[in-house]
Amino acid sequence: MLEYIISKYNFWVYIILLLIGLYAMLGKKNLVKKLIGMNIFQSAVILFYVSIGVKKGGATVPIFMGDAHAAHGHGQAIIDVASYINPLPHVLMLTAIVVSIATTGVALAVLILIFRRYKTLELDEIIKIRKDTGV
Amino acid sequence: MKVIAILIIVLTGGLLIYGVEEMPDWGDPNSPASSHVSPKYIQEALEKTATPNMVTAVLGDYRGYDTMGETAVIFTAGIGCILMLRKKRKGEGD
Repeated sequence: MLEYIISKYNFWVYIILLLIGLYAMLGKKNLVKKLIGMNIFQSAVILFYVSIGVKKGGATVPIFMGDAHAAHGHGQAIIDVASYINPLPHVLMLTAIVVSIATTGVALAVLILIFRRYKTLELDEIIKIRKDTGV
Repeated sequence: MKVIAILIIVLTGGLLIYGVEEMPDWGDPNSPASSHVSPKYIQEALEKTATPNMVTAVLGDYRGYDTMGETAVIFTAGIGCILMLRKKRKGEGD
């Protein structure tokens, strides 16, 4: 049982991070805290994907080591798959980081607009103002 | 509200912990993610794209159109921020 927990320890960390983010999005009333929760959630998913690409046993970063020109020129360089970690999760998460930056920027802009109109970022107060004014 | 949130958290956490059983161990070289498609990329990236960095090769060559669409995403986000935050001219509604 302990061995099972240790052999998959990365997943426990990401589950905790993901649940912290989910709770912040659902349970908090401040919109900035909801946004921070969304960022924590995204970080959990990104870390999860990056950890998928890890290979134990002497694998290094996915950059070709050695004489790249010689290997490219002759074409027949035998590249050992086990000596490089999986590059695909890294590529996908590079895209995901860019998207998360874009969503965070747009969300902050929307928050500024909300604050200008209602002078608060608390969700319950905004709902109360909207009910009182009938907008 | 808080009670519902905590209920959803517990339910989601239970499902995730249940799902971890199917996942490969940390750093397993034969995990599904590392054994189906990625060996092909590791072996052929240098020969086909002449780029030593495999991440760059996949991002810029194999998934070039995806990266181009990504720039469209950033552009749209930037334009959206500018349109939302700019100063309104006189006579312009709201």
